[in-house]
Amino acid sequence: MEVDFEACKACGYCASVCPVKVFAQGTDINKKGYAPYRAVKQEACTGCLRCFYMCPDFCLEVTGSARAGNIGGKT
Amino acid sequence: MDYLAERYLRPRKIPSTACSGCGLGQVHKKILLAVEQSGIGTDDLVWGTGIGCTGRQTFNTWKGDNFAGTHGRVYAMAVGLRAALPEEKKILLTVGDGDAFGIGLSHLLHCARRNVGVTVIAADNFGYQSTGGQYGYTTPQGFVTDSSPYGTREPGWLQDGADILDILKSAGATFLARHSSFEGQKAVDSIEKALDNKGFSLVHFIYPCVTHFGAVGLNSRDNGKIVRWFEELFSAKNRPGRGPHVTSGITHDARGSRPEFAAALRSRTREIREGRHVQA
Repeated sequence: MEVDFEACKACGYCASVCPVKVFAQGTDINKKGYAPYRAVKQEACTGCLRCFYMCPDFCLEVTGSARAGNIGGKT
Repeated sequence: MDYLAERYLRPRKIPSTACSGCGLGQVHKKILLAVEQSGIGTDDLVWGTGIGCTGRQTFNTWKGDNFAGTHGRVYAMAVGLRAALPEEKKILLTVGDGDAFGIGLSHLLHCARRNVGVTVIAADNFGYQSTGGQYGYTTPQGFVTDSSPYGTREPGWLQDGADILDILKSAGATFLARHSSFEGQKAVDSIEKALDNKGFSLVHFIYPCVTHFGAVGLNSRDNGKIVRWFEELFSAKNRPGRGPHVTSGITHDARGSRPEFAAALRSRTREIREGRHVQA
């Protein structure tokens, strides 16, 4: 799971839909003036992709085993 | 930037200038997922845009060919393009609720009547949000907006038994669907079917405007509250008499049931040139 620090606008949709609380808002400010979210509990990710479908700013990449087989699934 | 944006969008357009929490990017992403699922490349599709939040945020983002229409007139330009382009080239239009169901409605209806081979993604944020949050054609009756401080008096296109998709169906559209921007794969599959249709398709997406509709109409910018309001909007337990009445999914699938405009035009022209035509 990767969050693009400069692209994130800190809307928080990822955190609001994640069932296992992978995301938390950071304190560092990006060039646009937002304090982006971070994937702080990577190990808890089940690859459900709710965050991926919800992220409006193309800044969230679900990678590796978490992503495998889930795109095109039932989410 | 995720892999979809890298593969299909121009990097200088990402991130967009949309407000934090705007649902338009969710719609944009689902279009790209459907494009990926359909195996469409950047040379296979021409992307047209309207005006307003939707037109601005999606204009010239596609790595392939783009064009912008004037407000509500992008369908008229697309008809000309459809007649000129090869049949296999897709035309996709991203428009807002004003573009589709207000100023552009007459053009849209005629596009459906002719079954022009275009895919329209109507991204609806319940009003004129890019100009400050005035009410529009789908704003639920009674909601406070910048131009209706005591609540809108007019009924919208989605209430009291009216449904804009029914009107488009009567006009001749051959594929229609509706989703919220919060939906996942189900919405992607609808766009894929819309792109597959040789005739006129429209997918209506209702998405949140946090800055105006959320802050003024729902009295909150909290995205958790906005997500819950959307879930309620699309649920069977919709509040009677207050909100609009919508359901999610494909509402009309008549792909292949009517001749497509440009294909019929080409066929008729060939008949006339070869002297095989029958006078109507």
